[in-house]
Amino acid sequence: MTGQQARASLPPLLQMINDLRSSGSDTEASVKSCCATVYGIDLVALFLGESYHPGGTQLTRRLADRLGLQPGERVLDVACGIGTTALLLAAERDVDVVGVELGAAQIAKARARASEAGLSHRSRFELGDAEQLPVDDGQFDAVVCECALCTFPDKATAAAEMVRALRPGGRVGITDIWLDPAKLDLELRGLAGRIACVADARPIADTVAVLDRAGLTIREVEHHDDALRDTIDRIVVRLRALRLVDLPALRGFDFALGIDVAGRLGELVDRGHAGYALITAVRG
Amino acid sequence: MTLVPSRPRVDRDEVFLEYTKSICPVCKAVIDAEVNVRDGKVWLRKRCRNHGPFEALLYGDAEMYLDIQRFNKPGTLPLEFQTDVRDGCPLDCGLCPDHKQHACLGLIEVNSGCNLDCPVCFADSGHQSDGFSLTLEQVESGLDAFVSAEGEPEVVMLSGGEPSIHPRILEFCAMARDKGVRTVVLNTNGIRLAHDRSFAPALADLGVKIYFQFDGLGEATHRALRGRDLRHVKAAALDRCADAGLAVMLVAAIEAGVNTHELGSIVRHGIAHPAVRGVVFQPVTHAGRHLTFDPRRRLTNADIIHGLVEQCPDWFRPSDFFPVPCCSPTCRSITYLLADDRDVLPIPRLLPMEDYLDYLANRALPDPSLRRVLEGLWSASAIPGTDAMVEGLGAALASLGLPDDLRTIASAALETCAACGIDFPATLAELTSKAFMIVVQDFQDAYTLNVRQLMKCCVEQITPDGRLIPFCAYNSVGYREQVREQLSGMPVATVVPNAAELSELLVPTRHGSRTVNGPAAKPQSTAVQVNLGRTLR
Repeated sequence: MTGQQARASLPPLLQMINDLRSSGSDTEASVKSCCATVYGIDLVALFLGESYHPGGTQLTRRLADRLGLQPGERVLDVACGIGTTALLLAAERDVDVVGVELGAAQIAKARARASEAGLSHRSRFELGDAEQLPVDDGQFDAVVCECALCTFPDKATAAAEMVRALRPGGRVGITDIWLDPAKLDLELRGLAGRIACVADARPIADTVAVLDRAGLTIREVEHHDDALRDTIDRIVVRLRALRLVDLPALRGFDFALGIDVAGRLGELVDRGHAGYALITAVRG
Repeated sequence: MTLVPSRPRVDRDEVFLEYTKSICPVCKAVIDAEVNVRDGKVWLRKRCRNHGPFEALLYGDAEMYLDIQRFNKPGTLPLEFQTDVRDGCPLDCGLCPDHKQHACLGLIEVNSGCNLDCPVCFADSGHQSDGFSLTLEQVESGLDAFVSAEGEPEVVMLSGGEPSIHPRILEFCAMARDKGVRTVVLNTNGIRLAHDRSFAPALADLGVKIYFQFDGLGEATHRALRGRDLRHVKAAALDRCADAGLAVMLVAAIEAGVNTHELGSIVRHGIAHPAVRGVVFQPVTHAGRHLTFDPRRRLTNADIIHGLVEQCPDWFRPSDFFPVPCCSPTCRSITYLLADDRDVLPIPRLLPMEDYLDYLANRALPDPSLRRVLEGLWSASAIPGTDAMVEGLGAALASLGLPDDLRTIASAALETCAACGIDFPATLAELTSKAFMIVVQDFQDAYTLNVRQLMKCCVEQITPDGRLIPFCAYNSVGYREQVREQLSGMPVATVVPNAAELSELLVPTRHGSRTVNGPAAKPQSTAVQVNLGRTLR
């Protein structure tokens, strides 16, 4: 497993935070950050709270509507994290879900949440890589992938894997960050290299082309750019709150840099150079 | 058939919003009133059959006024009412069984005398020989009435006059505490705190919190509102509070054209001072003694909020302020900040406030206990420095997942990573010490009194005869004059707002407020103009 692949197991915006933390330089601060490092604090939850991707559950429901999910259908959630999307679909749309995720801790949590919610009979969570899905061919009526495609190093392979998992006529629903790399100024481009989701995000046209080449027919592309703006705002607010709270365990973290980078990304969204999109496609 | 030349019909220039009751600011007769929206602002208009029409600004932002009505929670019944319904609101105070809310905060004015003679004083206090000074028995009977009504009252605020010059003020504080009042607050101008070194420690020993009159940092502000340059006194008093560990709220009376430019500097001063936990902004109440004013250009909560946002654009947005839902939502708005010397962050930006404090939307609450926490923080009884506030802020921040994670870190650290030296309780204490409260409170006067709002008031004046009179009724309807007359045994003139438009009618009272002499003073007809009890046919 490469470092690049491991990144895909975290919601991409939050990968930024982990990356920034490891960039903390001050020695004394690094010593103090040992608790955070050693005990694996859930920085994701700390910074993002309940909301696990731009648009939250509201956008997940919209995605389900756009895919026309029917009770009893089989749905694959690629890069399912702790299972929030998969469990929502199982609970509200009566579908059978399989979630695939690269992080063992997330899989364990997803299983625990499924059991807590009484959804174990409708859901299965498997450790696995988006570029090599641990599922049989043609088993699924629909594949969903929220806020993760942008982090996959080999997007063409990931798309081909989704197609392999689908039955003929099966649907794909993706929500994801899009970005026009040409619009990044030099400084932000330098910073962006440290932020997985930004470094690997593409313009919508590129993503559409990747899906097309994999044998998918695009049905709709919707812009939900405000959702990304809201998420960035929320991250900035929580970063500021954590800096104000000034936990000894987080003193190695470069809050100022995190706030600065998030703010610049927000400006990119404001200028129409980045955003969040909902894309649906069907296997021809 | 004659052809009438067509006349275009003309639209009114306002939207009619509410039909309510108010009083005539001159004779205090209860009269009908209407609330309208015009030019993006909210106006209360009424007409007295003897004194003509009156109009006053109620709220400087109509959109905000309408939007925040949904932050209105069902009232809570007190354990007992003190009066009966006889003549209808606002003549039966109180509280009468028609009142919609219990008392979150009870005020006791322990004296009418003061060591200042401020040009602005809703209590019409000063160096006066015809006032009153409550006995221990009188304070006790008021407290007993409050305890009977509330069980364990949340807050008693001792006020005046200047309560710190009452020789038994410390006994009053102790008595309130001993009767089970959770928080005792002293409302003071700070002169005694500055000059009497033993006073702040004595208050700290009793657990008293301080509401500290502080209208701004400019000399001109002091002279205009207090008649003296009190800057050194204020600074010394605040330092004494810090030394004694007293939690202080700065209370700023804001008058249009006097200190509206100081909103931001008052907040900055408060954040920077170790004793100060918050600021209360109060548009000057045009009751008692005050500067000549125009009721159409008075300040409202919306103007304070917008003014503060303009003066601190990096810190605030209007949406950072949420109304207190226990009283009428346009009476009081609050925000909390996390603040240190680098950053100021309004806490509502971290929380889904609307999910919890919008009582009109029928939505499922993700976490019902968080609503109770937020209700405690967005309340007239929320006083910084109290255990309730520390716990409330801790719980609100816990909802972010912060302290849960802190707890994990801390327990792990304590077990195996002593080198990090994390002290969880200290971390939480430090966290809440960075919390700062901003309250914006508009009290009603004889011009702005809206009975709809008054009926849900949760700030009550406690009188020695055991009544709990809504504070805004107390100041505008005539209760203050009635009670002062009873307590002092001296006649007290009915106070009329010192509005420019009334200047020809007004004469000064001996306390510096204004009254009306001669026939204008009394309603010429005794017939009430509302609730006539008659039918058309």
